[in-house]
Amino acid sequence: MTTEARPSKTDAARPRRPLHDWLANVDRRVIFIAVAVATALPLIFPLNLPIKTSREARAYYDEIERLQPGDEMIFVFDYEPDLMAELDPMSIATLRHAFRKDIQVIALTDYPGGPGIAERILGEVAAEYGKTHGTDYVFLGYNPDYSATMLRMGESIQATFPTDHYHTPSSELPLLQEADRYAEVELLATVTGSALAEYWVIFAGGSYGQRIIAGNTAIQAVLIYPYFQTGQLSGFLGGLKGAAEYEKLIGTEGAGLRGMDAQSMAHLLIVCFIILGNIGFVLQRRYQRRLEREQDGGAKREQGDGVKR
Amino acid sequence: MVIWDHIGMWVAAVLTIAIFSLLYRDNPFYRAAEHLLVGVSAGYYVINYFYASVIRKFAVPVFQQGDLWLLPGGILGLLILLRLSRRTQWVSRYAIAFYVAAWSGYLIPSVIQERILIQLQGTIPPQPGTVPWDAFLGAIIVLIGVISILIYFYFSAPHTGVLGRISQVGITFLMIGFGASFGYTVMGRVSLLIGRFQFLFQELPESLMNM
Repeated sequence: MTTEARPSKTDAARPRRPLHDWLANVDRRVIFIAVAVATALPLIFPLNLPIKTSREARAYYDEIERLQPGDEMIFVFDYEPDLMAELDPMSIATLRHAFRKDIQVIALTDYPGGPGIAERILGEVAAEYGKTHGTDYVFLGYNPDYSATMLRMGESIQATFPTDHYHTPSSELPLLQEADRYAEVELLATVTGSALAEYWVIFAGGSYGQRIIAGNTAIQAVLIYPYFQTGQLSGFLGGLKGAAEYEKLIGTEGAGLRGMDAQSMAHLLIVCFIILGNIGFVLQRRYQRRLEREQDGGAKREQGDGVKR
Repeated sequence: MVIWDHIGMWVAAVLTIAIFSLLYRDNPFYRAAEHLLVGVSAGYYVINYFYASVIRKFAVPVFQQGDLWLLPGGILGLLILLRLSRRTQWVSRYAIAFYVAAWSGYLIPSVIQERILIQLQGTIPPQPGTVPWDAFLGAIIVLIGVISILIYFYFSAPHTGVLGRISQVGITFLMIGFGASFGYTVMGRVSLLIGRFQFLFQELPESLMNM
């Protein structure tokens, strides 16, 4: 057991910590707590901040809006549970929009972790609109090797997926009798957190002229803009903000819209931290320069005193 | 909701909090949750890949439907497993060579067309008056950005004089690009946090109410 006396809180000898030192050394746990509070509070007490619709989200919406009842659309769940928070709102909103317009959906996934997500979302949204598997929509499941899958679907979807996810032969699915290749499908929508949107553009868009729209994670969105600018992608959604814009356009409130207040508050806080960090950096640099000048001045004075003696 | 759904939600909540506990410091709860994730993921993927590739794409068509055209592919796949022995690993190179050749054959022309040629076309500004002025201005900025960044990555001449000034413009464009990328990355990470908080503060209480 130590018997050292603790320093008094009113110890006048303790030096005061300068502001720049405090700003440059904020405990990371303080930042974590601040971000957690800024994110959690708007979820509990919504602020209903306004959301402006972007051109790319409007284009994504227009692509589905122009389809007619009975048209076919391929929908690809190209993500796994780690990205559900960002991409589920896009998938749900897209399927709601499609089922509301009586568009027939051919769903699949290029990821082994995708079927669980696809089954849950398809089941929930199809139940909302009273759609049945086989005639209104089908879920073909996961197929290994995405590039071969994308290319072969241009020739025959039934050959690429001999059975659906539930082992029903594709030849017995009424929906696949009407649409068996890209040329018979009006639109392809992929929701992805990887470069698969680019590969759909290369294989389905480039080789077969399929119209494509994509929902992407925020990180991928930067890489997707050039494909939208050239028209290789007809529309796209970027991150939770894109999902919120799309939910606003179709007039349903989902996790995207509910999360935007929290997103805005967290961004505001991070911007504040970046500004404070930069102020701390500038103040610290000034302090160090002043210290160096004072040391240089002291050394010169000492040299001068030495010469006088 | 059935009882198993409620149990699943509570397990998810406990694991979420265990993972978040790392933000304070490393601890046994975090370690347990991390190891559980790695173990469950590995098991899930091995079974899923095996079923989807070997059973669904090879064994069923060949042995049940008599599609013998798939046999050469299956044999090439088996050759890759010979890498496990040092004496036979050279044989696996034939399978890998076949795969690389096939992949390159159908990827290279498509990538050149879609990623290079069409993207190059996209940098050519449209004629003034044929598009709105802001789109025209955007196209000019894209052209300046592409040229200046390409010059920045041209290393066969010293970056001095005109070349140096243009490459400085290129650096500015690169920095703007990195800034946008960083901003989007922050948005993505915050979205994941929002997803977990929506689960903890909205879905979990709703599940409790429905019990």
